[in-house]
Amino acid sequence: MKQLSIMKLKYISKILLLSGVLTACNDNLEIAPPSSVIPENYLKEESQLDSYIIKRYTDLPNAGGGVGLDNNTDNEAGMGYSTLYTEGDLKVGETGGEWNFETIYQINYFLERVLPAYKNNEIQGSQENIEHYIGEAYFLRALAYFNKLMTLGDFPIVRNTFTDDIQQLTEASKRMPRNEVARFIISDLDSAAVLMKPTAPDGKKNRMYKDICYLMKSRVALFEGTWLKYFKGTAFVPNGEGWPGATKEYNKGYEYPSGNIDNEIKWFLEQAIASADMVASKYPLTENSGVVMQGVGDSNPYVEMFSVPDMSGYEEILLWRDFDRGKGILHNRPVDGGTTCTGIGLTRGMVQSYLMNDGLPYYASSLYKGDDSSQDIVEGRDDRIRLFLKQPGMVNIWLNVGQGTHGNPVEAEVPDITNGSAQYRYNTGYQCRKYWYWDHTYCNNWQGDTGVSIFRAAESYLNYIEAYYECYGYLDSKADQYWRALRRRAHIEEDYNKTIQATDMSKEAELDWAAYSGGQILSDVTLFNIRRERRNEFLSEGFRSTDLKRWRSMDQMMLKKYHIEGFKLWNTDLPEKYAANGYKLIYDQDPNSNVSSPFVSDYLRPYEILKNNRAYGGYGWHMAHYLSPIAMQHFMITSTADDESYSDSPIYQNPYWPVKANYPAEK
Amino acid sequence: MKRKALLQLFIVHNNSIKDFFRVMRISLFLLFVCVFQLMATDTEAQNAVINIRQNSLSIKQLIKEIERQTDYLVVFRNQDVDVNKVISFQKRSGKVSEYLDEIYKNTNLNYVFEKNYITLSRKVEVVNQDKKKITGKVTDQNGESVIGASVVEKGTTNGTMTDIDGFFTLEVENAAVLQISYIGYRTKDMAVAGKNNIQVQLMEDMQALDEVVVVGFGTQKKENLTGAVSQVTSEAFEGRSVSNVAQALQGAMPGLNISQSQGYLDASPSINIRGIGTIGEDSSGNPLVLIDGMEGDMNRLNPQDIESVSVLKDAAASSIYGSRAPFGVILITTKKGKEGKLSINYNNSFRWNKAINMPKPVDSYTFATYFNEAAANAGTAGYFSAERLQKIKDFMDGKITGGIDPDPNNPTRWGDPYVYGYGNTNWLDLIFDDTVFAHEHNVSISGGTEKLQMYASANYLGQDGYIRLNPETNQRIATNLKVTSRLNDYISINYGMRFNQIDFEKPTFFTDNMFSNLSRQSWPTMIAYDPNGYLYSSPSWALPLQDGGRHRKKTNETTQQLNIVVEPIKGWKIIGDVNYQVYQERVHEDIQKMYNHDVNGVPYQYTGFSSNSSVSENYKGTKYLNINAYTEYSKRLNGHNFKVMGGFQSEQFWQDVTNAGRLGIIVDGMDALNATSGTDGSGKITPPTVGGSYDKWALAGFFGRLNYDYKGRYLLEGNLRYDGTSRFRSDKRWKLFPSFSVGWNMANEEFWGTLSDYISTFKLRGSYGLLGNQNTKEKWYPTYLTMPIEAANSAWLINGNQQNTSSAPGLISMTMGWEIVKTTNIGFDANALNNRMNLSLEWFTRKTEDMIGPAPEMPVILGTGVPKTNNTSLRTNGWELTLSWRDRLKNGLGYNATFNLSDARTKILEYPNKTGVVTSYYSNKNYGEIWGYETIGIAKTQEEMDAHLASLPNGGQDAIGNNWAAGDIMYRDLNGDGKIDSGSSTHGDVGDLKVIGNETPRYLFGLNLGVDYKGFDVSVFFQGVMKRDYYTSSMDLWGATSLWSATLYEQHKDYFRNDENHILGLNMDSYYPRPLFDTDKNRKTQSRYLLNASYIRLKNVNIGYTLPTSLINKLKLQNLRVYFVGENLWTGTALTDLFDPETISSDPAGMMKYPMSATYSFGLSVTY
Repeated sequence: MKQLSIMKLKYISKILLLSGVLTACNDNLEIAPPSSVIPENYLKEESQLDSYIIKRYTDLPNAGGGVGLDNNTDNEAGMGYSTLYTEGDLKVGETGGEWNFETIYQINYFLERVLPAYKNNEIQGSQENIEHYIGEAYFLRALAYFNKLMTLGDFPIVRNTFTDDIQQLTEASKRMPRNEVARFIISDLDSAAVLMKPTAPDGKKNRMYKDICYLMKSRVALFEGTWLKYFKGTAFVPNGEGWPGATKEYNKGYEYPSGNIDNEIKWFLEQAIASADMVASKYPLTENSGVVMQGVGDSNPYVEMFSVPDMSGYEEILLWRDFDRGKGILHNRPVDGGTTCTGIGLTRGMVQSYLMNDGLPYYASSLYKGDDSSQDIVEGRDDRIRLFLKQPGMVNIWLNVGQGTHGNPVEAEVPDITNGSAQYRYNTGYQCRKYWYWDHTYCNNWQGDTGVSIFRAAESYLNYIEAYYECYGYLDSKADQYWRALRRRAHIEEDYNKTIQATDMSKEAELDWAAYSGGQILSDVTLFNIRRERRNEFLSEGFRSTDLKRWRSMDQMMLKKYHIEGFKLWNTDLPEKYAANGYKLIYDQDPNSNVSSPFVSDYLRPYEILKNNRAYGGYGWHMAHYLSPIAMQHFMITSTADDESYSDSPIYQNPYWPVKANYPAEK
Repeated sequence: MKRKALLQLFIVHNNSIKDFFRVMRISLFLLFVCVFQLMATDTEAQNAVINIRQNSLSIKQLIKEIERQTDYLVVFRNQDVDVNKVISFQKRSGKVSEYLDEIYKNTNLNYVFEKNYITLSRKVEVVNQDKKKITGKVTDQNGESVIGASVVEKGTTNGTMTDIDGFFTLEVENAAVLQISYIGYRTKDMAVAGKNNIQVQLMEDMQALDEVVVVGFGTQKKENLTGAVSQVTSEAFEGRSVSNVAQALQGAMPGLNISQSQGYLDASPSINIRGIGTIGEDSSGNPLVLIDGMEGDMNRLNPQDIESVSVLKDAAASSIYGSRAPFGVILITTKKGKEGKLSINYNNSFRWNKAINMPKPVDSYTFATYFNEAAANAGTAGYFSAERLQKIKDFMDGKITGGIDPDPNNPTRWGDPYVYGYGNTNWLDLIFDDTVFAHEHNVSISGGTEKLQMYASANYLGQDGYIRLNPETNQRIATNLKVTSRLNDYISINYGMRFNQIDFEKPTFFTDNMFSNLSRQSWPTMIAYDPNGYLYSSPSWALPLQDGGRHRKKTNETTQQLNIVVEPIKGWKIIGDVNYQVYQERVHEDIQKMYNHDVNGVPYQYTGFSSNSSVSENYKGTKYLNINAYTEYSKRLNGHNFKVMGGFQSEQFWQDVTNAGRLGIIVDGMDALNATSGTDGSGKITPPTVGGSYDKWALAGFFGRLNYDYKGRYLLEGNLRYDGTSRFRSDKRWKLFPSFSVGWNMANEEFWGTLSDYISTFKLRGSYGLLGNQNTKEKWYPTYLTMPIEAANSAWLINGNQQNTSSAPGLISMTMGWEIVKTTNIGFDANALNNRMNLSLEWFTRKTEDMIGPAPEMPVILGTGVPKTNNTSLRTNGWELTLSWRDRLKNGLGYNATFNLSDARTKILEYPNKTGVVTSYYSNKNYGEIWGYETIGIAKTQEEMDAHLASLPNGGQDAIGNNWAAGDIMYRDLNGDGKIDSGSSTHGDVGDLKVIGNETPRYLFGLNLGVDYKGFDVSVFFQGVMKRDYYTSSMDLWGATSLWSATLYEQHKDYFRNDENHILGLNMDSYYPRPLFDTDKNRKTQSRYLLNASYIRLKNVNIGYTLPTSLINKLKLQNLRVYFVGENLWTGTALTDLFDPETISSDPAGMMKYPMSATYSFGLSVTY
């Protein structure tokens, strides 16, 4: 027995020893990341909130700078045609696309963790700052949702994050009617406005504040209000004919919160009017001296406002982005703006849309000198094109000439329309001068660090005018005041009624897509001129594409194709000048042709130089193209059925797009 | 004991058999004794003292004691010695010779000391009968005299030994048959009837001795192996002119797959054992590399320090290393000192490396012509105007000079070379040298006393790279010291220290990125030097390479290894290892201001590559501590042999990283942080960048092994490992991994009988084991969520400053755990024809389960990456074959051939690909599958294309492109739906796609052929892949695909041209379709452009001459060999010359890379 117990003891002690070693090992193997912060310890202090939000600031629209922001519309045309307007080139994707939630997740993660902590007073720091950061988060979520509203329309509304549970995620993927999405955006913007500081906290307007929310709100509300108005009754609005949302149980029999679509339109437009006014009534426009800047001493604040390194001094600029060479935070605007905007030129339609100084359209004005040269076409014209259209011999760069790799110090006698390189090609012959900068040290390739304007007050003027007119069918005194202010600055006759009276819609319809809505030429000339004002003010600022879509201004191209044209080349003295400058203009000799044929048009048609160009016959349209398709992957993942239509997926495709990868629009 | 008729020689155990053979070959060094005469030629040897614990021992035990306590090896013929005979001794401690004298007295055995060997042979008693006297001479196949060979009258004890000149005299019966034998040679019988004088030539007996193979925590006789293990010895590294160990191992062993990634000086090849182990997105399937039992980087090792390399391929062999070894182990054993006189070896090699497969760019005119055609075909106007084309032509014809015009908008500057350039530059010739030099020197010292032996070596390798404008250099210094000592009968202590330092330097702008940019962006029409002779960049890579600064990487590594073996009682050993390694890596990079020169030759700063000058320093230090404690006990009982082993292993790894950088080099050319001002290119003060972190991981494991065999016939081995890792949380941390293996060597069975004369080993074996993989690559804390936080890096500035940023952490699977690897292996080994032929076959299946695969697809509303988890599995099947033959002809010509061949194919068993996208992985996919279209051909005319499209009434080829014309590809409508498309590229809807090939390298082989004759030796080594498909849509294959993907090499001129007046001529039967920018419609993955990437490459040619010993001895040298080595001298492949078959698929795939080299080297090796 004794023996046995000793044996047992030995046995037990061995086990104890072994387990002891194991425990020791286990402790030694418990290694948490020593150089990283774990989530439990973060977002507990105001600077941590700050760091989270500032990372997302680059989501702001056009924050990367860029030029030719209206490319692929009737305003601007790059070297390549846009598949948006050709037959069958735009297809349903296999994966990816606009249907993504990364940005939304980032913001929801923040709000989900910060809001409860904030309510329980668990976040250290100044109450005011903490609220400001939360406000910014709401703003950024609204922004993310607005991007989805513009491209996809109906979209799931999510306020929280999920775990990787496929059922839960599938359930959450239900698309909410677009007006609900817009209302959600507006409610986020309202929250943001309540929480944010009244003025830019950094003092230089690199950080957002309340008025940014109001401006954004007017943008969103105007967008949705006009969309619902022009697409009323179609598959592109809830309960419209063929609205795909009706195919899903959860959206069937949808009722507008305001009762019907007309009330809904009114509600949005009223939101737009009110919030636009809060900004427009507060911020004046930057003065335009009328000087076409050509050298040292020339100054025009309206021009400088778009390209100086420090934009904080302009009241009209509500928010701008600062860049810095040493820190490697760069863009290429000075190079691109100083050359050819990466081969993106202004169209003839854009240039001709500007009024003459007498407030009359070119065809009605005695000031019009014709369009045989680019000098002629802008003479006596709206400053917004006179100042921003490059001309032969124009001096672009006068500071530190030679310090930059790119940028034309002086424009050549004739624009290079045949160059194969986008950096040198004046694709339409008309080149935009906005965003160029006159100091050559900024013109090194991808080394630009001039400022980039993100929001400017002029938009609120335009939003007010348009929303008010769309809502009530007339203009109030404020609208009148705002419109006149814009025209005054452009150095055109303030009285827009003169313009309205002289406007010939059939003439306008030749060049301007926005002369149409729903396939019909606008009968309301005032409305057209409001649209014209917007087009002219926002030269190359990236609003055109969205505007054309919400106005439903492309339907007409399904019947009659539109030819993108640049400057007048033939039947002018230009061919001689080109020859004198050593250019050989070749047409109708494919594949050696380098300009479009005079037998097709006097005007340079950038997509009609070679007959095998996909857009040779002009730009057309498909209804489906008003919204982006949702890629196949998303239907498949959310479906358990094996049928090809994935009918049990809660996601439905946008109108006239097939549920089939690599297939083009059906209509 | 085993009966072995042919394999008569048997060695108890030894680690350095090969050396033994080398020694034997240099037979002049043999010491000899005469019959009946004990002549101790080496007094030191005789005086070696051993201790025994009993007064009586069997001969076998005594041999073991001698071998254990001294560095002697005792060799004898089985039939001569009854090893079980017990001898009594007076003393428990004494000289070896005293004990051997005792044996001599009590048995019929004689002994001879020779260097490290003690040879036991039968005493030959001379019976003086009145018969005939025969004389003779014994020589080896080289005609050299064999000293000390035993000459015995068969069936008697009558015999003698040969003298120093190989002569013997013996009285025998008239009809006697003489049996002449000598260790290491095949015994020969000769009838002497009617002769008084005979000439005997003995043939060397190849691999007569049992090989000992290094396995995990010990060694094993090859004969008794049951797992899949391959081994090569130092021979594999002799006569190679390689820059690292992995290059020398390529093709040396079946199943060890080594592929070159890049030819960079500091590049290391990638290694896998038996093919794809894991496709786990976050897991690594690399083999574990152990250098003298400790994890290490084989590419920092001096190849000449290597004694042997073992590759443990199946789970049974590697499971003793548990979680570190799921995909095999490479065990590298370095050389250690040998007892005896100090021997010093010096060898060197001088190498000329020549770049192979460097593509040839086209000339400017061809380039511009192609360009214009490609643009016009895409509907855009040509890039090069007629005037510029003419200028290009005139420049090439020498009619005009310059090559670039001033910028018309800025006439003091040269223009943008893309627009105003008309030169004709071969950028590759400009930037790369054709031939570069390297040299290597190696000194090693070996020797010691009975108690203490030492090996020390030093190695220097200096290499230049191909960059012409600014040198790229690599220098390796490696030293090694190994001391082995016996403190007393019970304790041995071994200590090793290895140090290496690698200094690598290159121009800062010489990066992977440079290769692709050079290829796509450096048009021949651009000039390298402006008309004033200055390098001109806008952009060209020549300027930044030459003036842009230097990148320097200095690493040093010190490894210390202490090993203590205690043997308290016979057969029981306790072993402790402490391994410690310190590694430091410092990377310096400076970016200097670069200058272009204007039209007047005035310099101005060029900021196209960087607007700021800067210096950055990155430091990384790691520490690795590995402690092993284990014990083993072996016992033999009546033919039953047992061995048990058990122990504990712990590993800990620490890493700390610091980096700092600052802008603004104050004086051009300086490169220290202190020489920077902190200002950016525009003079603005910018904060320096700093960073640093600490990290750690740890592993612990318990292991045990049991070996059993019965008379070498039935073999059994079991392993168990219990592992824990810091990478997983406590509930998933520990895992048990068992394995077992069995073997049956039929040649040792009684029934095998006389068959063993022909086949001495005939072994079947099988194994099964389970291993775990915890190697989650760089993610050391995969189950922890961490906030992505960055200091002052925001892209949005507030008050001109960068802000701290943070964002949401991704989701993480808390349940993440081990990958399980299950391997079954069946093997067969045979030795035949007196070991001249060796055959080894392996078949295996390896299943990797619960791989940490890609995340399952989830509705994207999740908004973030789906957490990865253990959800994927795959299976790799394969086989390996090694066949070798060695022989020596009567005329002294020795030759050998070794061929190895292996194959491994991988199938994905489970993969979370819900939508079944075929281009991704999916369940039941064969790894490496290439999905593509079937090509009908290139339409020669528009009519042919139209007819083809008309045959596709439901949409033609619209789904993949438009504007189909002559010179475009016609694809085949495989599913007959009247259109060409890829459906949704998912299962059930693949459209016209099908599997057109597989890019897995199949049938990897190595073939080693060697011949030696009278001091000359020649060996050649071929390596290759017999089957492999490859597809790439890269511009390097296809030629320029857009303005900024403008690659054009000679091969690309073979494109479709239906124009007799074309400058390149009509080409209707072209390889390539018509040039076409900005669409990939002709470049869809398709059968026509599937490349055959199989190849055979002459990896190594080695021609050497060893000077005759007689001559050498006069120089008081032991050995002198001169040699020529060639590497990569010839390649046979069907692959286009645009690519090298070895590097084709390494990143960037299908693109130009640093070239591989053909090496020509000369050197000599001297041993004193």
